[in-house]
Amino acid sequence: MRFVANISNDVIANIENSDTSVETALQEVSTGQKVNQPSDDPAAAAAMVELQAQGANIDQYTSNTESVLSQAQDADSVLTSVVSLLNQAITLGTEGANTYEAASDRDSIASQVSGLLSSVVSLANTTYQGISLFGGTVNGTAFTADSSSSTGYTYNGNSSVNTVQVGASLSVQANIPGDTLFTASGSSVLGALSDLATALKTGTSAQIGSATTEITTALNYVSDQHAVYGNTINQLQSQETYLASDTVSLSTTETSLIGIDTATAAEDLTQAETDNNAVLSASAKVLQNTLLTYLPN
Amino acid sequence: MSLVSTLSSATEALMAQEEALSVTNDNISNANTAGYAREIVNFDEEAPTEENGVSLGNGVTVESVTSVQDELLNMRIQQQTSDQSSATAQVNALDTLQTLFPSSGTSLSSALSSFFTGLTALSSNPDSSADRETVISDAQTLVNQFNSISAGLSGPTSSLNTTVQTDVTSINQLTAQAASLNSQIVAQNATGQTSGTLTDQLNQIENQLSELTNISVTHTSEGDSITTGSGTPLVLGGQSFNLSTDTDSSGNTQVLDSGGANITSDISSGDLGGTLQVRDTDIPSLLSSIDTLANQFATAFNAAQAKGYDATGAAGTALFTVSSTVAGSAASISLTTTDPNAIAASSDGTSGSNGNVTNLASLESTALATGSGSATDQAANITYQVGELASTASANSTAIATSLTSLTDEQSSVSGVSIDEESANLIRYQQAYEAAAKVVTTIESLFDTTIGMISGT
Repeated sequence: MRFVANISNDVIANIENSDTSVETALQEVSTGQKVNQPSDDPAAAAAMVELQAQGANIDQYTSNTESVLSQAQDADSVLTSVVSLLNQAITLGTEGANTYEAASDRDSIASQVSGLLSSVVSLANTTYQGISLFGGTVNGTAFTADSSSSTGYTYNGNSSVNTVQVGASLSVQANIPGDTLFTASGSSVLGALSDLATALKTGTSAQIGSATTEITTALNYVSDQHAVYGNTINQLQSQETYLASDTVSLSTTETSLIGIDTATAAEDLTQAETDNNAVLSASAKVLQNTLLTYLPN
Repeated sequence: MSLVSTLSSATEALMAQEEALSVTNDNISNANTAGYAREIVNFDEEAPTEENGVSLGNGVTVESVTSVQDELLNMRIQQQTSDQSSATAQVNALDTLQTLFPSSGTSLSSALSSFFTGLTALSSNPDSSADRETVISDAQTLVNQFNSISAGLSGPTSSLNTTVQTDVTSINQLTAQAASLNSQIVAQNATGQTSGTLTDQLNQIENQLSELTNISVTHTSEGDSITTGSGTPLVLGGQSFNLSTDTDSSGNTQVLDSGGANITSDISSGDLGGTLQVRDTDIPSLLSSIDTLANQFATAFNAAQAKGYDATGAAGTALFTVSSTVAGSAASISLTTTDPNAIAASSDGTSGSNGNVTNLASLESTALATGSGSATDQAANITYQVGELASTASANSTAIATSLTSLTDEQSSVSGVSIDEESANLIRYQQAYEAAAKVVTTIESLFDTTIGMISGT
């Protein structure tokens, strides 16, 4: 092969290549990513789509978890209050069951018990951000006064339970319907309280005693249900921790997939710049050198 | 040998060096002319004369001026040029297309993801009108993404059609020039003259043709016969055959040969081939993927809607309007309503129930239809598809550029003009010319001496 007669084309191509490398290196440094468009690495770009969707989901699960958690904590404290009200009712019932208690005293105890009943109803009507905590999936006041009902209150909700998705494969029960908690047959809280009030007004000591036992049964039942919320809260708290660690590992994966660490990027850029300088100064030398330079005028 | 004949051979030497200087000048002048192949002067000794049993040389004559070419190299360069412009055409078109699938900011995948996370948010508070508004506005963004990506994919088709027309016009102009050059070369050959300049021009035209489409060149006594890669004649001797264009039923420009037959699918390589590849293969396959996603997503989502109840307690109705055929689904998909209550989150008709949210949100990660992927999988696949097309085209372009550079180097080494070489030649011919001129002056002084002898002065 004879020498390459006209090297300027080669020189231009080399400068262009070198400029492209500098541009790529600069883009990597400025964006911190080695994949800036799908063609940079199609497989990584596609994997990123999945990862970003996963990331968005985890963020949403986290916010769902937080929301359900505070809802459950609210309900939990409501039940704590209900339990202490029922304990008071048992104390009152035991007091009222004493045979030497005067009828007027029993009346006053009965009105205290009625007060406890309306306190429990008001607790059962607690709402969280507009959602009735114990109305099932029906919004609005869960229990309203109704003279035709034996307990004096009627349940407006339903027996539906909402489960909230807080993970890709984890859903937790967000509510216990009011009819399960407060008016369950055999251990109805409202029923027991209103029975006790009635017994205190009109009944015998034995009737008051059995009404008090009824309240004890209801108390045990509510305590059991209370544990359901406790479990939910535990579950949600550990899910919160898990989601936080999942977010970290996801962002690590994202970084390793499309990110470039600053040191490598900076080194690439320096390398590209050095190469570029070398190409340019070599080109400047080579292009000037012709026989004509040395010929006398 | 007489002084007179020496004088005449010295004159011939002067003329030969002049001619060599003129060729050198031509080389230097055309050092940067595309397609120019350097010319070299072939000197020859004149036939000797016998004089008194001694054979005396009769000086120099210019036997020929040759243009230095390598036919095989030229053909390989033409072929690579075709592939290069095809790859470049694809890279340019696909680079625009892949901007429709950005890895950050609003994209189809981010719109899908937002829509589904919005639905998941409804799970914790199905009655929240703010959350419902978010879902509807995310659905609107998603529909807009489908519409705009579909438009973005179809948009380049019209400009690609224009490219096809321009390319065909250029091909016709070039083939007409090639035919006319063929006639001139044949005429010049008949006079026995060299045709370096015309050959250079013809080569250059063939190079330009190969930038447009893949061609095949055969040298004949009638000049170069040029056909397309698939054999459609373009130039035969002094005759050129024009290609023409026509618009098919779907509005795409088709390429017809001189006989009117459609040769669009036979065209490979070159700017024309690359353009047709993007228009007829790449874009339709991307469009079909996005249409499939739009259609399956809308159908599956509407089916999931029907399983639940909206916020007013009525049975869920379709949220998306989509065509029954897959083709065109992405372009035509739209929302049936902007009423936030229309999201069928409830499974029992009460507004506080979230029982159907799972059905709605699960489409993100479960197959939209039998044998197909989930919404996210399909969106990821489309990103992969467009990235792969663009990266393959760009990798091809880089690889061909490297091989083309080395071929061009080789050609430059054979046919390229070196200024250094020509400068040296210039001095060589200048010196020879000066020496021959010296011979003429010497003979002149000899004549003077002889004439002086006669006149006796």
